[in-house]
Amino acid sequence: MEFSKIVVPVTGTTADDEVVKLACQLAKKSKVKIWTVYVLTVKRSLPLDAEITPDVKKAEAILDHIATVAEDEGYEVETDLLQSREAGPTIVDEAVEREADLILMGVVYKRTFGQFSLGSVVPYVLRNAPCEVILYHQYTP
Amino acid sequence: MQDNYRPKPGDRIFRPRRIKRNRLRRVLGIPALFSAGYGDVGSSIYYALGIVALVALGATPIVLAIAGVIYIFNALTYAEGSAMIPEAGGSASFARHGFNDMAGFIAGWALMLSYIVTMAISAYTIPPYLSYFWPILNEPAIGTLVSMGIIAFLMLINVLGVRESSRVNIFFIGIDITTQITLVVLGIVLILAVNPGVLFQNMFGAGNWPSTQNLIFGIAIAALCFTGVETVSQLAEETKEPAKRIPRAYILMIIAVLVLFAGISIVALSAMTPQLLGDPVNGWARDPVAGIAANLPSEALRDIFAPLVAVLAASILLTASNAGLMGISRLAFNLSSHHQLPAVLSRIHNRFRTPYIAIILFCLISLLVLTPGFFSANFFVDLGSLYVFGSLLCFALAHAAILALRMKKPELERPFKLRWNIMIKGRELPMTALLGLIATSGIWLVVVITQPYSRWVGAIWMVIGLIVYCIYRWKSHLPLTHLPKEPGEGGL
Repeated sequence: MEFSKIVVPVTGTTADDEVVKLACQLAKKSKVKIWTVYVLTVKRSLPLDAEITPDVKKAEAILDHIATVAEDEGYEVETDLLQSREAGPTIVDEAVEREADLILMGVVYKRTFGQFSLGSVVPYVLRNAPCEVILYHQYTP
Repeated sequence: MQDNYRPKPGDRIFRPRRIKRNRLRRVLGIPALFSAGYGDVGSSIYYALGIVALVALGATPIVLAIAGVIYIFNALTYAEGSAMIPEAGGSASFARHGFNDMAGFIAGWALMLSYIVTMAISAYTIPPYLSYFWPILNEPAIGTLVSMGIIAFLMLINVLGVRESSRVNIFFIGIDITTQITLVVLGIVLILAVNPGVLFQNMFGAGNWPSTQNLIFGIAIAALCFTGVETVSQLAEETKEPAKRIPRAYILMIIAVLVLFAGISIVALSAMTPQLLGDPVNGWARDPVAGIAANLPSEALRDIFAPLVAVLAASILLTASNAGLMGISRLAFNLSSHHQLPAVLSRIHNRFRTPYIAIILFCLISLLVLTPGFFSANFFVDLGSLYVFGSLLCFALAHAAILALRMKKPELERPFKLRWNIMIKGRELPMTALLGLIATSGIWLVVVITQPYSRWVGAIWMVIGLIVYCIYRWKSHLPLTHLPKEPGEGGL
């Protein structure tokens, strides 16, 4: 598989580091452009452009950490912060806008009502992505 | 990327101001805009028809038609304004850009009153519809109590930030439009076509035509039918290509709303007398669409449509009430972020990430507005006239702001520029905005003069708002009429 542009959504979970490392390894082979994006979701009781400073600071910290992880891998990534109502459509739109070849997402093991759950964002991206999607599952013993 | 890929719709995305750099993302398309706007206006038929009939009697279809023309003027003004200023403030934004912060505040504060009353009136009319299943809900006191419980429930879920499903909303709206069209068709075929004279009798017969004062008040009250204009404007900031999609959504809404309202009102007056339609105690004023279903000539059709209308009405009115609350909280946040209201109203809950203070405060005010429902016989009309006080004021300011922007900033890019303009002092001014301004402000004055409840409650509301505004601006060392930024300076 060869890619030229990769979008890596990050969420501040333990899977992010490994996903970014994986993206860097895939990218090293053919000088791929990587964008790591953090999506801030805003409730409908707020305007879309509401400035939620604590969340923005937290997101910045996560993106700074991701940039550091990538640097340690010897790769430079672009980080971006997006604010929207729902993360799934945002990630898909970002991939469309960037003309990405690949969306690389990480998930941690999560159970909802006793069942393993991918949540709502990952299934949305898998259904609607305009390109390949690689899903990295963080193993939790 | 695949060659045959087509981008999927979603929400608009915002890129917030970063310590380094950031972006917003917007995605709403025409269907989502239409459903949000129609959800607002489509819900109003479930109560507005009854209130209008209570006032305008047999002239109900005529006053709705006249109000419909004014609605077109409003929608067109908002189409130009929202395409030009794709912000969340609606008429408050237009007035702020067209005049100054104080005018923006007055429009926003009047709009808040409309939202509060919309929330209250939507909640108030849910129990009468559900009384099909539980007749005790028809008792005004019980109904008022249940309505308050509904508002308390909405307050809770909005503070917690429970997400509503847009798919569910669109599903219910689809069923709603289908049901209303079916009722109109059935009513025309089974009632009007069988006895065409009944409509004429119910409209113009002895005792069925209102007094001149009530006729004019009826036109004012009919503004209740045409909410949704602000809702679409509030969503402008979330719309992809707002310059193109917002006007199209408005035009779609105009067509859908006028056709359905005309049909429903004609069928209603064919199915029952205006006195029965407009009676809030023994008639169908509080659940007029249920009245249509209950008066269908076939028992089989009544058995199908009566419960269907009850369930649909309750769900759509609940959605409308929730939409009103979200509108208030967004507007309060918007006003607060522009230093027009104290910052406490834009405080966000640490855990739930919702503007909980604004939500709780305005829900409590809405509960207060509902209190007369326990003992006032005129409560239903009073609620309607209070809504009209707020909405007509903000519509008038929206028209005035669009005209002001045409005068002061004719060079501004107007992706959707209204046609049918007249030249005044070398500036093109749209006739629809001029006529809309005259109509809305004129009717507002009539309401203020003739309706003591809305005059005093509305005036007290506005005075309280202005006092809060002035004190807040004085303490913040900001001028009262601070002008917004010039285009290119981060504003328009």
